[in-house]
Amino acid sequence: MSAPTVFGLLRRITPGPRWGVIGIPYLWMLVFFAIPFLIVLKISFARLAIAMPPYTPILEVDNAEVALKLNLSNFLQLGALQNGYIAAYLSSLKIAAIATLLTLLVGYPMAYVIARLPPSGRNIAMMLVVLPSWTSFLIRVYAWIGILKSSGPVGRLLEKTGVIDALQSLGWIEGRQILYTPLATYIGIVYCYLPFMVLPLYTNLVKHDGRLLEAAYDLGARPWKAFLKITLPLSRAGIIAGCMLVMIPAVGEFVIPELLGGPDTLMIGRVLWNEFFANRDWPLASAVAIAMLVLLLIPILVFNRVQQRQIEGRLT
Amino acid sequence: MGTDMAAVEQQQAVAGHGPSPTPGAEGYLRIVEVRKEFDGFLAVDDTNLSIRKGEIFALLGGSGCGKSTLLRCLGGFEHPTAGKIFLDGQELNGLPPYERPINMMFQSYALFPHMSVEQNIAFGLKQDRMSKPDIARRVEEMLALVQLGRLARRKPHQLSGGQQQRVALARSLAKDPKLLLLDEPMGALDKKLRTQMQLELVSIIEKTGVTCVMVTHDQEEAMTMATRIALMDAGRIRQVGTPDEIYEQPANRFAASFIGSVNMITAVIDQDEPEFVTLRSPQLDTAIYIGHGISGFEGQEVSFAVRPEKLGIGKDEPAQPHNKARGVIEDIAYFGSHSVYHVKLASGFTIMANFANVQRWASESMTWGDTVWVWWGDNDGVVLTQ
Repeated sequence: MSAPTVFGLLRRITPGPRWGVIGIPYLWMLVFFAIPFLIVLKISFARLAIAMPPYTPILEVDNAEVALKLNLSNFLQLGALQNGYIAAYLSSLKIAAIATLLTLLVGYPMAYVIARLPPSGRNIAMMLVVLPSWTSFLIRVYAWIGILKSSGPVGRLLEKTGVIDALQSLGWIEGRQILYTPLATYIGIVYCYLPFMVLPLYTNLVKHDGRLLEAAYDLGARPWKAFLKITLPLSRAGIIAGCMLVMIPAVGEFVIPELLGGPDTLMIGRVLWNEFFANRDWPLASAVAIAMLVLLLIPILVFNRVQQRQIEGRLT
Repeated sequence: MGTDMAAVEQQQAVAGHGPSPTPGAEGYLRIVEVRKEFDGFLAVDDTNLSIRKGEIFALLGGSGCGKSTLLRCLGGFEHPTAGKIFLDGQELNGLPPYERPINMMFQSYALFPHMSVEQNIAFGLKQDRMSKPDIARRVEEMLALVQLGRLARRKPHQLSGGQQQRVALARSLAKDPKLLLLDEPMGALDKKLRTQMQLELVSIIEKTGVTCVMVTHDQEEAMTMATRIALMDAGRIRQVGTPDEIYEQPANRFAASFIGSVNMITAVIDQDEPEFVTLRSPQLDTAIYIGHGISGFEGQEVSFAVRPEKLGIGKDEPAQPHNKARGVIEDIAYFGSHSVYHVKLASGFTIMANFANVQRWASESMTWGDTVWVWWGDNDGVVLTQ
C-alpha cells in the first residue's frame, strides 16, 4: 500500500522532462546574466582599494555583527555634470540614434527590394546580407581602417574625386581623411549592424500581401503614396524591431568608436573601458555599466510592450 | 424592341473569338483584339467583347482560362500585349490603375488591415483630394448602402466574411467608378452565405447602376448574378450570351458540358430537311428527331446534347416512335428536390435523367436494376457541330 504513494511522492518532487526544456533558458539567464549582474552591482557599491581585488567588500563581518556598507559615491560621481559621464551617455545615445536612423535608411530599401525578389533570389540575397558576419567582427572593423584612411586606395580615390573636399566643406571631417572622425564611427556601425536591421524588416515585408498595394493603386493612390499609406504603416513592427536590435548594442559599442572614431568620439563604452583598464577603478566602472544597463532597459521595455501589443492585437 | 434585338444580335456577332468588330459597334466597354502573353504563354488570345452600360457581365471559366488576366487588363494591373480597351469612348491602354475610372473588388477583398471600415472606404476618396465633410458624407452613404453603419470603426479582422465583402464592395463603389470589377466575389465565403450574398450583391450593384464585370469559376454564381456571360477556355471566348441562352443553346460542346450536366450523344445527320432533322446514333436504338432545321449536311458527324432534366423517365414505353431509349437503372443520385437516374442503355452508353421529387417517396417506385424508358421532346436537345 505504501510503496505506490512513496513512488508517487518521488515522482511529484523530481522535475519531469518538461522542466528541463523550460529550465535550460532560465539556468542560462541565471548563470550568464543574473549572477554576473549581481557581482557587478555589488562592486558598484564598493570603494576603490589598493588591493586584490581592487575594491572594498560591502559586507563586513565582525564577530556576530554583519554590517552592509553601500557606497553611493560612484553613482553620485556619475550624476555630477562636471565629470562628463552624463555627456558621454548623451553622446552615446546621440551617436547610436543617428547610426540607427542611417541603418534604417540603408536597410529598408534593401529589405524592400529583397522581399520583392522571386523566392529563389530572396534566399541568395539574404545570404549575401548575412555572409559578412561570418568573418570576425574585429577583422571587418580593421578592414574599414584600410578603406577609410587617406593613404588607402579608397582614400586616394575619395581625395581625387573631391569627395574629401566636399565632406570638409560640409564640416563633417576636419582632416584629409574620413578615418578617426564621427563619420567613420557612423559608417562602421551602419556596416556592422546592417543585418540586424535588414533581417526583421525583411521578415516583415516578405509577408505583405501584394494585393493591398494593387488595391491602393486601384483606388487612385500613386506608387509613392501607396507605399507611405500601406507598406510603411504595415511594416512598423519590423522597423521598431530592427531599430531596437541596432540601437541597443550600438549605445554600448566600444570597438567601432575606439578603432574608427577619433579621440573626440565620446561614447560610454570607451569611458567604461578607460575606467576599468586605465584607471583601474572597478567600482566606478561597475557603476557606469549599471547606469548603461538601466539606460538601455528603457528602450528594451518599450520594444517588448510594442511586441506584446501586436500579439494581443492579432489575437483579438 | 425590334431594334434592341438587332443590337443584341450585332453585339453577339461582335463578341467572341472572331473577326474585328464592325467600326462604330456600340458598347460602353469595348475589348478589341486583346491579346496577352506571359513569356511565350498565351493567356488571352485575340479577344473581342462589347459590354453595355449598366450590365453585370461575367467572365466564366476554369482556372487558367484567361478570365483573371483579362480582368487584370481592365483594371490596369496587366497591360495587353496587343489590342485595345475602350471605356465610354476613352482608350485605356497605357493608363496605370490609379488613373483609370475603374475600381475593383479583389479576391478575398484586400482590405487594408491597419485601417478601420470607414478609413478603408475613405481611402479612394482621399486620393481625389475631396474635402473632409464631403468624404464623411460619402462614407456614410456607402455604409448605409451596404448596411454597415454600426461597424464603421471596426478593423477588418473584427468582421465576418460577409461583412468584409460588403466593406470591400463599399470601398470599390465609393468613387462612383464607371466600371466595377469583381474578382471571384464569392471565393472567400462558405456555400450557404454565397447564395445569400449573390443576390444581395446584385441588388446593391443594381441600386448604383454601375457597369460591372465579374470573374468567376462558379457557373451557378455567374448564372445567378450576371445579365450576360462570356464563357472562356484556353484564353478564348467560347460563347457569349444570357445565362439561359448559354444553358439552353450552347454554341459548342465545351459550352454544353461546362455549364450544368448534359448527355452528349455522338451522332450522324441522317435526314437534313428545312423543317426537321433526323440523327442516327450508334448509342441509341431509335432515331433522334429534331423539330427544326439546322445548318449541316447529311452524313456530318455531330453531337446531340440534351440536359438530364429534359428527359422523362418511367417504366412504361412512351408512344412516340423516336427520341426514346430503354435501359437499366445503374445508379441513383438523390438530391432531395430531384433525383438523377443513370440509365445504362443496350449500347453501353449511360444516359442521365432527372426526376423531380414532387411527391414524397415518389422516387421509390424506380430502383436499382429496374428496366426503364427515357424519352425527350422534339425540341429538347441541341445539335452541336463544333
